Amino acid sequence: MAAIISGTGLALSPAARLLLALPKALAIGAFLFSLLGLMIASFTDAGGGASLALYHDLLNSHATRLAIWRTLWVATMVTLICLVTAYPLATFIARSRHRDLMLILVISPWLTSLVIRTFGWVVLLGNRGVINQILMGIGLTSEPIQIIFTPFALVLGLAHVLLPFMVISILSVMMQIDRRLTEAGMSLGAGPVETFFRVTLPLSAPGALSGCALVYLISAGAIVTPLLLGGLRDRVIGTQIFQEIFALYDFPRAAALALILVVTSLIAITPIQIAEAWLRGRISRI
Amino acid sequence: MTGMALRLGLWRTLNVTLLLVLPLPLVIVAIVSFSPDRFLSFPPTGFSLVWYREFLTSPDWMRVFGISAAIAAVAALVSCTFAVLAALALDAAPARLRGICETLILAPLIFPHAALGIALYGMMNGIDLLDGTFLGICVAHVILAGPFAYRPISVALGKLEPAMAEAAMNLGATRQETFLRVTLPLLRPGMVSALLFTFILSFDEVTVTLFLVSPQITTLPIEIFHHVEQSTDPVVAAIATFLVLAAVLLVIILQRTVGLQLFFSAESDEKPGGGAA
Repeated sequence: MAAIISGTGLALSPAARLLLALPKALAIGAFLFSLLGLMIASFTDAGGGASLALYHDLLNSHATRLAIWRTLWVATMVTLICLVTAYPLATFIARSRHRDLMLILVISPWLTSLVIRTFGWVVLLGNRGVINQILMGIGLTSEPIQIIFTPFALVLGLAHVLLPFMVISILSVMMQIDRRLTEAGMSLGAGPVETFFRVTLPLSAPGALSGCALVYLISAGAIVTPLLLGGLRDRVIGTQIFQEIFALYDFPRAAALALILVVTSLIAITPIQIAEAWLRGRISRI
Repeated sequence: MTGMALRLGLWRTLNVTLLLVLPLPLVIVAIVSFSPDRFLSFPPTGFSLVWYREFLTSPDWMRVFGISAAIAAVAALVSCTFAVLAALALDAAPARLRGICETLILAPLIFPHAALGIALYGMMNGIDLLDGTFLGICVAHVILAGPFAYRPISVALGKLEPAMAEAAMNLGATRQETFLRVTLPLLRPGMVSALLFTFILSFDEVTVTLFLVSPQITTLPIEIFHHVEQSTDPVVAAIATFLVLAAVLLVIILQRTVGLQLFFSAESDEKPGGGAA
């Protein structure tokens, strides 16, 4: 019993450990219980028996299929846009002499609520928003151009709102990369571009992958940004769930939609997470 | 050589532009917030602080601001306490057991928020104690913040040197003294970042909270959302600017005191198996 393997200096009995873990276990229990409730509600028919009727209905509805498809498409686009924008930006910040100043520009929006950052885009893109007022002011158009409440506005707004997540995710790995590795690449005759593709990119890819999974999940599960920028006409699963609850008061249908969202998101991010774990394993063995 | 200089110039311009686009919508919001106009007009017709006065003197806005801050404080303290206890319980536990427990602890991270919101709504609906109450929102935020509280603390715990505790005990300290005067102070940086992240997460949260508010209890981001949904009320621009400035100030203070490394260390020290999104 005297052997201390842990760094805490505590020697805990199994009973003490159980007691310590109890509050956390209760929180996780509540979380799992809520998921169970979701499943039960979505697999129950009006009479209380087990049934797949809700899923059958939902998956046969053209509007729902479109919303599922739109959710996948929007989340994928947003993830790709964030990835290709964040990579150069993260590389630039990691190498810059003014790194802290740039980080303040990235982290401050990141700490601000999604609803506030989305509001910024409402102010810019709205029918009486800044862009339309400028366009009408300089006489380019006499009527406001419809920018808000289009899929374009939604993808643009989400990508902008989620870019800091991707930059921070990539940077947290990139800042760990030993400077000597990139310097070695350069001194062995590789140019900055070649060094990036052969040294920096492979070593920072796990951070980019975890950023992709994160950005995908947030965009697929978003409600507020799609409502404010995408509107209710071109629905995504998030806004449809919102409608089912707040306009139609249909919890079982919302629950079934939520589970469809969970399953489709897991299918999308599992390969990313497997790739990330594999890469992290390879890098740690170097 | 000029080709190279040109490319370097282009590379810099591109990235600096991107960096400036990042806060651009918020800068526009700040400009609009100082306008005296009742409706959004750009450029503003004048300069005034009326919307800031309206926010700071409105009992309704101040009330939701207080509720949000109180929920965030409770959620941060509770989730971090739970996380410290759980991390201690799992410290030096058999690797397999620990792996299973950590997967469960980090599980909320892989669920889209729209789904979590509806799940928690379903669980709390009809229970008077939780349905649309302060407590209900706190419970939801403790669940959401769980992984963010646990990660920095377990990373800090993993970095402890057993030699430190051994030295303290060799010098005659009891286990209790060692824990209180050596181990806990060493865990402080991890606990501080856990508290900071969970507070901000709870204070900013909107997707899940949307399902849990009631006419009596609502949070600042939700109230902002409802206002934006109905109109571009300039008071929202003033509140947004106020909160953005608070965030910038916080980041600058952190940069001056502990360094911005804080925002990157939690993830980079992840152990294999602990790395869900």
